[in-house]
Amino acid sequence: MTSETAYLLLPEIILILAGTLIYLGGAFAPGKSAWAALAALVILAAGGALAQQGTTETVQKALVTGTISGPLTIDWFSAAIRYGVLAVGLVFALVGSRWVGEGDQSEFQGSLLMILAGLMLVALSNDLVLVFVGLELISIPTYVMLYLGKGTNLLESGTKYFFLSLLSSALMLYGFSFLYGVAGSTSLIDIRETFANPDADAARLMSFARLALILIFAGLAFRLTAVPFHFYAPDVYQGTSNANAGILAVIPKIAALAAIVRIIYAGMPGLEQIGWQLTLAVALVTMTLGNLLALWQTNVRRMMAYSSIAHAGYMLIGLSVGFAAAGGAVVAEGLDGVGATLFYLLVYAAATAGVFAALTYLSGERRIVSTLDDLAGLSSSHPKTSAALALFMFSLAGLPPLAGFWGKFTLFTGALSVDARNPESGNLWPWFVALALVGVINAAISGAYYLRLIGVMYFRSGDAAPEGQGGAGAALATALCALAVIGIGAYPGPLVEAGKKASRAARDVSPEMLAGDRVPANQTAVVKPLPGLQKAEF
Amino acid sequence: MESAVLPVFLFVVAATGLAVGLLVLSALVGPSKNGKVKEMPYESGMDPIHDTHRRFDVRFYLVAIAFLVFDVELLFLYPWAVASRNPLGIDRAVSEGLVESRGLVFAEVLVFLALLAASFVYAWRKGVFRWR
Repeated sequence: MTSETAYLLLPEIILILAGTLIYLGGAFAPGKSAWAALAALVILAAGGALAQQGTTETVQKALVTGTISGPLTIDWFSAAIRYGVLAVGLVFALVGSRWVGEGDQSEFQGSLLMILAGLMLVALSNDLVLVFVGLELISIPTYVMLYLGKGTNLLESGTKYFFLSLLSSALMLYGFSFLYGVAGSTSLIDIRETFANPDADAARLMSFARLALILIFAGLAFRLTAVPFHFYAPDVYQGTSNANAGILAVIPKIAALAAIVRIIYAGMPGLEQIGWQLTLAVALVTMTLGNLLALWQTNVRRMMAYSSIAHAGYMLIGLSVGFAAAGGAVVAEGLDGVGATLFYLLVYAAATAGVFAALTYLSGERRIVSTLDDLAGLSSSHPKTSAALALFMFSLAGLPPLAGFWGKFTLFTGALSVDARNPESGNLWPWFVALALVGVINAAISGAYYLRLIGVMYFRSGDAAPEGQGGAGAALATALCALAVIGIGAYPGPLVEAGKKASRAARDVSPEMLAGDRVPANQTAVVKPLPGLQKAEF
Repeated sequence: MESAVLPVFLFVVAATGLAVGLLVLSALVGPSKNGKVKEMPYESGMDPIHDTHRRFDVRFYLVAIAFLVFDVELLFLYPWAVASRNPLGIDRAVSEGLVESRGLVFAEVLVFLALLAASFVYAWRKGVFRWR
């Protein structure tokens, strides 16, 4: 830890400081929209600090090669995630600006700022301990948040999420312990070096590395809501408020993907085969199950939960392609799997946050919009909101020319390109063609429930129009998301490029990174096996 | 079998054997006489006055959480207090380049204390200590 590290953490420090102050201020003046405005300003300030750092010479040099500062990695990957997180955070601060509930708005906004800081730390970290601290800084405020606002069954959903999140953290930590045992360090760059050039001790312990990979993936799959760790999502989303459901649908997914990329994809070279096999199998099951179960839902939040499960499956397609490419499979130039996943994450976040912003806007003191019937006849009572919702549904279904189409396009073409030029030698081609085909079929299935929601809004008449008391902030958030969905759809190039750049930065090791400011190897606590253990057989 | 884990294994075997053995022995040898008084829950010599399966006041949990604020504070302050004036502590870390300066460590501790103080003020304002 040096003062340079503290400077590089300035955006996160701003967020946490402001979050604490908003918590404290709320204890004196609760339930005012001013807290939302303050939170939005703080997020903008953190973005400003980030941009200002980007202009300094140190950071600019760091972004080109990647650099290590203490427990932090400064590279394009962390920069991309940090900007994306702040954009998502701004939307949710606006969504919560007119509070429906007990006057706990300051707690909501304070928790939101801390969650954002945790998420940025996960993307930044070069150390297993910091990854874990970041993930807990996301989880613990989320537990608080799930009890706030106005939902149908807040206590049930909060408790369910609490216990399952604890279980997932335990699984992940168990995996971390094996990883530490193999590599003898918690620094991700040292772990990466050990995996790339294992010494005799590490080579003998490699079978434990597979166990570590599976346990860490399982722990993070809870946050990603990948099958078989998806089961909590529908109940939790249904029971909590619309704003909370939106946060749960977006933020843990970003955290899980950032951690998977940092730890498994970049940190454990040599295990690419098990990586692509695992992600491919989970992707197939996740998207199929999510889409099929979504067909039966009548509650909008429950339907969006299954939709978010299905989209987690699509994201895993890109990861699988990335693992295969890293393991030596030939992938078409410019169709980098992990880059496509990062792009897809942004596209998904824009549409999903938009859906929940619109639902929050439509709700009111008497009724929070929950079921499809609540949305009947929306096109005549709230034409603008229903148009925005239709836009988000089309984007989630992947219809051109909206953002969702480009997301699915980059993912599926990436999968189709794996070993397509030399089907005999690589032999991965059939697997990835099957994956892409299942993905396309799933996109078709998902059209059914997305279009049904549009049908309900436009072709059915409802008894009582929704109150539409969500406030100007939620309306603004909906409009911003709609603009993003249209804008990315019209001009996807720069963001696809940014995704590719970020994924390449996450995987590359430069000499500057190895020479970076980290604790010298002879001073880290390297665990040597006990004398007797060296003779034991593993 | 020559191994460093052999003593651990023997210890586990001995501990399990002792625990199970004592239970089995007392069941076999001991006289089994049950009565109303013997089946009564043990309450440190007092006669139990009612069923123990009752609801607790939620304020006990709030006090427990507030206690954690101070407990964690001490837990983290002790290592810093020990290391700050110890020749093998922070001074050595600074001289070996592991830590930039003493002041930075002190600032971190102050930030930690400020965060805990904020949580204390928050709990106070929210009425955790008001025992109505």
